[in-house]
Parts: sequence; C-alpha cells; structure tokens
Amino acid sequence: MKQAFLLGNGAMALGLLEAGCQVLTSYPGTPSSEILPETVRFAKAANLNTVIEWSVNEKVAFDNAFAAAISGKRAACCMKMVGLNVAADSFMSAAYIGNIGGLVVISCDDPGPHSSQTEQDSRFMARIAKVPVLDPASPLEARAMIKTAFEISEEFQVPVLVRPAIRICHARQNITYGDLKNNDTPAVFKREPTRWASTPKFRFLQHKALNEKHVKIAEKFNTLVPYNRHTIQTGQTFALGIAAGGVPSAVVTDLFDECNRTDIPLLKLGAPYPFPEKLAGQFMDACDRVLVIEETDTVIEYMLQDRHKTWGRLTGHVPMEGELVPEKIEAILNQALVESSLPPLSDTDSTKEGFALAASLDLPVRKPTLCPGCPHRASFYAIRKAVPKAIYPSDIGCYTLGSNLGGVDTVLDMGAGITLASGFWHAFHQDGEDKPIVATMGDSTFFHSGTTGLINAVYNDARFVLVILDNGSTAMTGMQPAITQGVRVDGRKGNAIALETIVKGCGVNYIQVVDPYDIDHTIDEIKKAHAWALSPEGGIAVIISRHPCVIGLRDQALPEIFAVEITDECDDCGLCHLRFECPAMVRNPEKKKTQINPVLCSGCGVCLHICPKHAVQTVS
Amino acid sequence: MKTCNFVLSGLGGQGILFMTKILAQTALNKGYNILGAETHGMAQRGGSVVSHLKIGDAGSSLIRAGAGDFLISMDEAEAYRYLPWVRPGGMVFANASADGFPDHRVKQYLAEYKITAFATEAGKTALELGAPRSTNLAMVAFFAAFGQGPLDADALRQTVASVSPDPVKQVNLNIFDLCHEQGKKLC
Ligand code: SF4
Ligand code: SF4
Repeated sequence: MKQAFLLGNGAMALGLLEAGCQVLTSYPGTPSSEILPETVRFAKAANLNTVIEWSVNEKVAFDNAFAAAISGKRAACCMKMVGLNVAADSFMSAAYIGNIGGLVVISCDDPGPHSSQTEQDSRFMARIAKVPVLDPASPLEARAMIKTAFEISEEFQVPVLVRPAIRICHARQNITYGDLKNNDTPAVFKREPTRWASTPKFRFLQHKALNEKHVKIAEKFNTLVPYNRHTIQTGQTFALGIAAGGVPSAVVTDLFDECNRTDIPLLKLGAPYPFPEKLAGQFMDACDRVLVIEETDTVIEYMLQDRHKTWGRLTGHVPMEGELVPEKIEAILNQALVESSLPPLSDTDSTKEGFALAASLDLPVRKPTLCPGCPHRASFYAIRKAVPKAIYPSDIGCYTLGSNLGGVDTVLDMGAGITLASGFWHAFHQDGEDKPIVATMGDSTFFHSGTTGLINAVYNDARFVLVILDNGSTAMTGMQPAITQGVRVDGRKGNAIALETIVKGCGVNYIQVVDPYDIDHTIDEIKKAHAWALSPEGGIAVIISRHPCVIGLRDQALPEIFAVEITDECDDCGLCHLRFECPAMVRNPEKKKTQINPVLCSGCGVCLHICPKHAVQTVS
Repeated sequence: MKTCNFVLSGLGGQGILFMTKILAQTALNKGYNILGAETHGMAQRGGSVVSHLKIGDAGSSLIRAGAGDFLISMDEAEAYRYLPWVRPGGMVFANASADGFPDHRVKQYLAEYKITAFATEAGKTALELGAPRSTNLAMVAFFAAFGQGPLDADALRQTVASVSPDPVKQVNLNIFDLCHEQGKKLC
C-alpha cells in the first residue's frame, strides 16, 4: 500500500481508476480542474492504457465518454457545474437512451461562489435529467462513491452523476491505495437504431423505462449504507432531527462529535435522488421537526413531503445563498435547537466579536488582479487607448480581471463575449447608431464556444472588433495546454490548430496578429481594425493578441527581463497603478511618487511605454 | 475527537500551499490522519488566501471560526483578517515587525480571549539569506520554536530538508535555523 496527501480531486482520480474507468474526458473549470491531470499521473505511474483527454468543451467531453459507454466500456467525464449546462442537451438525452458500460458524470459545485458565475446545485440538474445522483461528504467518500456510481450505472443502464462540492475537490486528505490495473473490457457496438438513434415514438418508451428504473433505484437507495442512513432505532422519538447530505452532513457530524451531542438524530442522504422515500419516511415519523441542511439549494427539502415538519431554506432557517461554512451551520443548528427547547451546541456569539473587530480594522481590500507582466493587462490597456468609448463585452478566464482596467463591461457565460457583441451591435444599429464595440475572449474560450457565435455574427453582418487574447494556455484553471500548442494532457503530441485558420474559416476577412507587449503597435492595429469594422465595406475585424502567459510559460513570455525604476519625473498622476493597474507599481505616500516592488515585478518592461511623463526607466 | 487545527493565511503567490504541505507531511510522518482545505482558482490571483489543516481524525475540511488552535500568517493584515478563526487560548504567528505587532486595536480582544500573538520579520530574514520565496518555511520555523502542538521542530526541519530541491536546501535550512532561534528568544 502507498500513502499520499491528495486533493479530493486526486482521491476521485484514484476512485476512477480503481473502478476501472477506461475513458475519461473533461474541460477544465474550478473546482474540477485537477481530476483529469491527477488521473493522468496515477495512470502513468501504473502504466495503464486509460484514454484521457482534455476536450474542447463539456458537451464534447460528455459525448466522447457516452460513445465509449455505449460500446460497453466504463467511461466518465468531469466538469464544473456550469459546464454541465453546456453538456445539458446530451446529458438529458443520454438518460433516456441509457448506456451499457458504466457512465459517470462528475459535476463539481461551487457554493460561495468562489470561482464561478452561479451557485447552482448539480443535484437539480440530475433531477431534471432524471439521472441518479451521489453527493459525497468527504474526499474518501467521493473516491468510494465513484465505484458505486459505476455499479449503479451498469446495473440500471443509466448515467450516474456524482456531485462533489468545492470542499471535497479542494480538500486534501491522506489516502492509502494499492496497485491499479487495466480494465480490458473490449469495445463492442451492437447496432440498434431504435435505441441509439431513437425517434420520438421510441423516446416515449425510453422515458417510461427510465421512470421504471427510478422506482428500483429509489428502492436501492433506501438501504444504500453508508451513503444513506439514519441513526434512529425503532420506537425512538425526537423533538428535532437533522437531514443533511454532502459536505454539510460531514460538518454536522463533526460538530456533534466535538460537542458530545448524541441526542439529535441525523438522516444522511449521500444518494438523494431518486429519493429514498422509505428511509426518509422512517426518520420523519420519529421526529417532531426536521431541519434540512444541504448545499446549495432545496433538493432534499422539496422532496421531504411533510411541509409542516421541515425547517430549512423555505422557512428561513437556512440562508438561501452562500456557502454553508461550519460557523454558519453551527449558528443554524443553535437556532433550531433553541426553537425546539433543546440546549444549543455553544454560545456562537463568541466569534461575532472577532468578525466585528476584523471588519472594523479597515483591512486592505484584496481584489484579484492580473499578474504583474500579464499580457492581458497590455491588451486591455491598448483597447482602452484605441477605442475609449466602446462597449467591451468580455468572457470567462483570467482576463475577466480586465474589469480592473475598465476593459470588461459584460461577462455572461463561455462564448458570450462574441454573442453579446453582435447583440449590442444590432440593438444599436436598429436606432441608426454605429456603436463602437470591442469584444475580448481568451484562446481556450474561443475554441470552447466562440466559433458558433462568430459565424453567426459574420453571417448576420454585425460590426465589431474581436480581440482574441491568445496566451497559449488555459491559465485560470491551472495552465492546461491550449489546442494551439499541439500537446495533449499526457504529454503526447496532438495536432495543433491555428487560431488564424479557424477565424478565417468562420468567414472573417480581417485578421491581424499582434504582440501586446509592443503596446504602441497594438494600439495602432486596434484603431485600424475599428475603423475598418465600421467602414461600408467592413465587417468583423479580429485581432489576435498573442503573448504567452507569464506564469505558465514564463521563459517564452519573458525572453528579456527589464529591471525598471521610477525617476523623479513621476508627477504622481497614478495612471500606472490605477489605470494600468500593475500590482508591482505602488504609490509611496511619503514621496508622493510611484514605486516598483521588486519582489512582485516580473520585468516585462511594458510600463516603459505607458508613462506619459516617461518616468519609468530601466535601471542604469 | 479533538483535532489540532492550523489556519494559514497570506496573499496569492506567497506559498501558503507549500507551507501547508510541510505541516501535513510532518504530521503524516508521525502517523496522524490529516484533512485540509485549500484555496484555488480566481482568489489565487493576488487575493487573500487561506488554508485550513486539521491534524487528527475529522470528516469535514473547513475549520470553524473560533476553533483554530494556531494561525500562521505570511502577512500582518491577513493575520487580523483571520483572527476570528482563532479559539480562545489559541496562538497567532505573523510575518511582521515585532515593534507594532499586534496592532493596539486588537490587543484588548487578544487579552479577553487569552490569545497570544508573536511576530517575526520572516520575509526580511529570508530575503537577507537570499531566498525571499522561502518566507513560508521561515514562518513554520518560527512557529516550531514555541513547541506547541503535535509537530516538533526537529520533525518539521526534517520535512523542510526532504522537500527542498537541492539547490536551495542549505539556504532553506539556514533560514529555518535562524527563524527558529528568533522564536526561541520570545518564548
Ligand atoms: S496566470 Fe497568466 S493569464 Fe492569468 S493573470 Fe497571470 S499572467 Fe495573466
Ligand atoms: S516591468 Fe513594469 S509593468 Fe512589468 S511587472 Fe514590472 S512594474 Fe509591472
């Protein structure tokens, strides 16, 4: 046996390989991003032949895994919860059609949200799709649940969703593991068009069959120990019981342990859908009140049928939004205990004073910023200079932080930088106004879901400048190699695809490639592109702003390091730290001048070109 | 089931995850189970970063506010931000100048809850010895000097030696020893 200190995502990677997963696909997104690279690591170490790919987006990932599963292999795909929206079309349909080999979808939720645009609850997506869902309470349980998920998926021929929340994905735990072996199940595809290519008539029958599967799965979930269980013996009754699933169930258990409370029963629902009615019914019958603590929505609460008994979000006992961190759960429990005339766990007021104190100290607000030397900073600076009074639709990635430079007006979802740009164009054009619009999108986002929007915009004759921020990596989620680099996740060669070719193929006739570090040239090119876009014979103009990420591809990004200093010419205008917003440039209040923080400065040298007083110079 | 709870705070890029790794590896070597919670993603881009580490048997990874035994912070402001996580009787270690630390505005709170707080200029020490990025392990050494909790200084030093890449190993150990001495003088 070996032991390692693994991220929950690493524990799930182990779980996948231990369960004999033969094909794994994914698109990166916090908090799911490390599952796939960790699987690569374990598979390589054990010399497994697992097929593992970064797919171009989550729908593509799902479909690739689905094909393997209907060929009889065990397959999985993983993504963040908003990625499941992208894969939703396939996901819903796959539930009807079903699979042969096990098909497991891991959709990682982000209550908080810490790094996402919503707090949506993937268990609801499972409910809509009529797909069974497992909700792990700890990394170890997540690892074990993956095996269970494969078994259920094969037994009932239906995809199974595993929903780890961020506190599973980014928890770290010591985990022991043994040898990993290949699963040699061969691919066999039996032609059966009425199943794999079914028409609506057969879809009706498949829906019926799915509903019948659900009755059986719910029956199984009634006794799916240890994921589903309660602590009540026959004949016992209680004033208050707690129903919880996933991470909150672990927090509640830890809290009760710590406070030596054995007087409050817990209904743990790690497999909440199809709902284990019988198990939940026993629990409800034995309790006068049941407080539901779940993340992030009201899945269990909706399914517990006795409205008069349940407390939770719908009764105001649990906050409707935000992560249920342990101190919040403690406060929720205390309130419910007191309302049930039971002694509280603790005097929670003790931490209130600490929070009030910290709030009173005016601590620096630390908003995330682009790294010192980030090429996106130069791009946004150039965009603002070139077309100052434009709408700036943008997108999801590190470059969302271009908002700090005033270069990001909208962020909706992956790909919306382009689709909102065309939408804005037509909305204003209808009134006779040629609105200046400069859209931005990263290279990975462009491949993920930029092309359809771009084709649509070209076809419908929208006019705007699109700046594709090409830094050669998917930086925000941990530096996954971009498609343009031609390297696959396991280091094998892929076929690199050039952005220029794709953009041209979408029907764009104006394409310029610039290096944003060459800031004056970049400003010129964006101005020209803008003028062309609005000219009668114009169209959509694309600028590919190409410079490697200074974190992921440091050596390529910084072939020359500039040691810079601020001279006495600095007149404290603040442009460099307020508008250009380099974190390495800070105001020295005594000297009333900007100062360079040498520990943070990357030496990119871009600031040499932006100071209106030429007060930034290389150190002589 | 009582765990020993570490809260580690600082800014994105200061090596909080590496500091977590040193403590966790040491605990692992001593045969403890460990469970921690880390910050990844957007917040790592220069934001406030915190890492939780429970040594002992636990089922959930986050440390509840008011339940941290030790807060080790790479930055003075980030030490104050996470003060609510320190339990009554807990200890705070910050990378800050001992002169102004702790801020007069928190002194009464610390006294009321019997929380003790210590500072060393770990960043300065690491910089002087030529490895500013090793400020994180300098803070571990400072903490270790107080001999609190289940992880002793020798074991922590050994972990630092085993996880440091060869070119910086000796510098790292020198930094460790110096900050450990600085801590010893205060306890
Ligand atoms: S990681 Fe790369 S792309 Fe992201 S902000 Fe830093 S330099 Fe920019
Ligand atoms: S060279 Fe200038 S712009 Fe680049 S990181 Fe240093 S201070 Fe910032």
